Amino acid sequence: MTLVVRLLVLLPAIAALAGLLARRSPRAAALLATAAAGLGVVLAVVQVFGGPSGDRRRVTATIETIGALPVGDLSLPLHLLTDRSSALVALAVTVVGLAVQVFSVWYLRDDDRYPVFAAEVSLFLAGMLLVVQSGDLVLTLVGWEVMGWCSYLLIGHVTARESARRAAYKAFLVTRVADIGFVLGVVLLAVDARTTDIDGVLRHVVGFGLEGPTGFAPFVTGSTILTVALVGLVVGVAGKSGLVPFHDWLPDAMEGPTPASALIHAATMVAAGTVVIARLSPLYAAAPTARAVLGVLAAVTMLWAALLAFAQSDVKRMLAYSTLSQIAIMLSALAFAPGIDEAPSAGLGHLFSHALFKSLLFLAIGWLSVIGGGTAFVALRGRARGRGALQWSIGIGLAALAGVPPLVGFFSKEGVLAVVEESLGQGSPGQAGETAWVTWLVLVALLLTVLLTAAYCARAWLLLTTDAPSLETVEALEGQVESAEPAAAAGDDEPTGAHGARPVTLPAALSVSGLALLTVVGTVGLIALPQGLHVGLLLALVSVVLIVGAASLVRARATGGVDPADVLGAATRLRADRGFGVDTAYVGVGRAVVTLARVVARLDRDVVDAYPRAAARVTLHLGAAGDRVHRGAPSTGLVAVVVGVVLLGVAGVTVWR
Amino acid sequence: MTTRDVVFLLIGLITAASAILSVTTRQVVHAALWLVVCLGTLAGCYVVLGAELVALVQVLIYVGAVVVLVLFALMLTRAPIGRQPDLATPLVQRIAAAVLGVATTGLFLAMLVPLVGQDSVTPVSGDTHTVATATFGTWVWPFELLSLLLLAALIGAFAVARVAGAISPRPAPADRGAST
Amino acid sequence: MMHLWLPMTLAAVLAGTGAYGILARRNAVLVLIGVELVLSSANLILVTLGSADTSPLQTGQVLALFVITIAAAEICVALAIVLAMFRLQGHIDLTEPADTEDTPARSTSGR
Repeated sequence: MTLVVRLLVLLPAIAALAGLLARRSPRAAALLATAAAGLGVVLAVVQVFGGPSGDRRRVTATIETIGALPVGDLSLPLHLLTDRSSALVALAVTVVGLAVQVFSVWYLRDDDRYPVFAAEVSLFLAGMLLVVQSGDLVLTLVGWEVMGWCSYLLIGHVTARESARRAAYKAFLVTRVADIGFVLGVVLLAVDARTTDIDGVLRHVVGFGLEGPTGFAPFVTGSTILTVALVGLVVGVAGKSGLVPFHDWLPDAMEGPTPASALIHAATMVAAGTVVIARLSPLYAAAPTARAVLGVLAAVTMLWAALLAFAQSDVKRMLAYSTLSQIAIMLSALAFAPGIDEAPSAGLGHLFSHALFKSLLFLAIGWLSVIGGGTAFVALRGRARGRGALQWSIGIGLAALAGVPPLVGFFSKEGVLAVVEESLGQGSPGQAGETAWVTWLVLVALLLTVLLTAAYCARAWLLLTTDAPSLETVEALEGQVESAEPAAAAGDDEPTGAHGARPVTLPAALSVSGLALLTVVGTVGLIALPQGLHVGLLLALVSVVLIVGAASLVRARATGGVDPADVLGAATRLRADRGFGVDTAYVGVGRAVVTLARVVARLDRDVVDAYPRAAARVTLHLGAAGDRVHRGAPSTGLVAVVVGVVLLGVAGVTVWR
Repeated sequence: MTTRDVVFLLIGLITAASAILSVTTRQVVHAALWLVVCLGTLAGCYVVLGAELVALVQVLIYVGAVVVLVLFALMLTRAPIGRQPDLATPLVQRIAAAVLGVATTGLFLAMLVPLVGQDSVTPVSGDTHTVATATFGTWVWPFELLSLLLLAALIGAFAVARVAGAISPRPAPADRGAST
Repeated sequence: MMHLWLPMTLAAVLAGTGAYGILARRNAVLVLIGVELVLSSANLILVTLGSADTSPLQTGQVLALFVITIAAAEICVALAIVLAMFRLQGHIDLTEPADTEDTPARSTSGR
């Protein structure tokens, strides 16, 4: 088991390095990347089934890596761990990774930078697996930052395009700003617990499991330092997972090639926040304020992103917003943990199912975009119709996203709903009053999100499978903003709508179909989680009704091939495409910071530095004055000196006498 | 008046006269040569006082080395041969200098003569052996310190001469900055 | 047997002459001759007082030797400075006011 977990983290990293070394040969790079990803899946499966049983919730094994670092009285064990949830998430990550690697062999086969891309994807997987398997806050931070860097590389893969570069910078800067909070949180936790071992921190804070280490007073529940640390972590997670103030980088990240988007959205980067918070959920149980912050952020994000997703004119951007919404659903489950053991499981379960169906959707849309020559709805109108496996895959993916009952998305979403409802009913005594309104807020937001999700999924399905009326097409083209990823992003020179100009290869098609299959049967995977399947009957009924209602409403609006989103009006849709100016707000924040820095620099230069400069100048003038005084003839000076000496001598002799 | 007194008086008069001549002569090179006479006769004074070693060192270093250095310096600074009208400072300063010189002499006399008294004594200066014993015994550390001083003076003189050597004599103001 | 006021008088005369030489000469080398005379005066005083001293330290003679050594070092450096002055200014006249311009050596010292 030890070897399995170590290999699981090391293998993609080694594959990344080897892929870079083998970048002269795309074939070798593809082979390396795919083989490593495949081995990763095998290892993850071994971890799921071969893990020691027993207490299913707690850490089941601790794995040493390079040995502890000796840092004063701070304990840095740097070890990995394995438990049920890490095994499941690792499985999802590696499966998605494999699908992405296989798919990108086909998707990027005309791109001369494919080997680099494959290596970056491998490194990305290594970072995510490190976060998943990490038993140490420092290792978590390392994986976290590796992912941040890789996302920058992947989003900006097409370096020739200005918008891709800008999107990469934006992703990097936004997540980096948010990471300040993350690092602060980690440092605060580590300093207070005198260890970076996650288990040690948990024990220190809540006396979780074993008795706490002697000599240190544990955090008092809800203490200020704990709250600050955890809110800092929430800020970091908000940056990576795209919660509301930081959400705008994710839709822009669609500039990256579609497989990269699938990776970032489905399994790795944005889901990392969920993993970290789930790992630390006992801490959040002790900090109601941090949970409230998380809950409010999640509620706002899921609603806002779902609304924006409905109005998008580009499939990939719609999927991006839906990712934001879904991640917020996962986090909302984690925001309600007091005394509910299955809360982290519900969040991670949704992560698992989301990883499957979202990667399926992204890869399928990538496939479709090669056929349609773009990712805008206009380019893809009706393209999915009559395409067999592809059409089915998209259908299954959208249905799972919407939460249609037999699919995996339904169960995981119901799990989250059930947790929130349960926490509403139960609530720890003394804490229920503080957070009850947040719980209500999240519950309402969840239900509304279910409605909206069903609506935009139905819209997407209708748009992709029905032809537009010819007049509509012209109008839509006029109001069209540029496609998020012009198909040239994939690297092919002539991405025309030439149907079947580049027939999909069997492995790529298989990867999409395989994901579709997993989406159908993935519910089995949820059983692996402790209390993974947990559905409240009433809420399930309510949400099914909501889904059906929303879908039929959209269907009714869409008669005759009309885009249901036209209800919103052209101006609103245009603004929604641009995220309602959040980007401008980011630029504004950046400008404000720069201006502030200039003011400070000017203060420093003109006010603070003035004193030293004045001192220097005064000294200089004094020196010059002394200089002038001493510029007489040497001979005259000598006379004065001797006069002085003689006078002194006379005085001395006189006194001596 | 003992014999020693007479001898010292004779030598001392020559010394004083040559010293005065060396500071008043109008010929640059003559000043250096009168200095040779002055320092040489001063060595004679030391002999009369019984300090043969000091006398010998005086002849070796002062007359042998220092005066040669002075002569070299005069030559290197292109000192003219023959009578020079402008060797002395202006008259006012010369009068002041004379007054100050006389004052200095008076001051020294007023201080030193009472110090030694009017009595006649036998000089008891040690011979070379005792001086050497004292130098390399009691005085050995100051002696070593002096060797360091000489080394420092050597290096310092070299550095000063080198820095200035990079600049040509009487450069035009324009190229002064550029010549470094 | 001799009277020690004689050498003391000579020392006083030498000191006065040296002082006059320092002040009455324009040429820097000649000023140095004055300085040498003053130093010799000091030496004479040392030797004279040493000859009246019976201590085994031989302070007078030893210090006279030291003064000669120091004088040698002094004249070495002083003549180097005189040469430098001659090269920089083209003369060694001490009655002329110093050059009012900054010399290159000063301008390199971090103004």
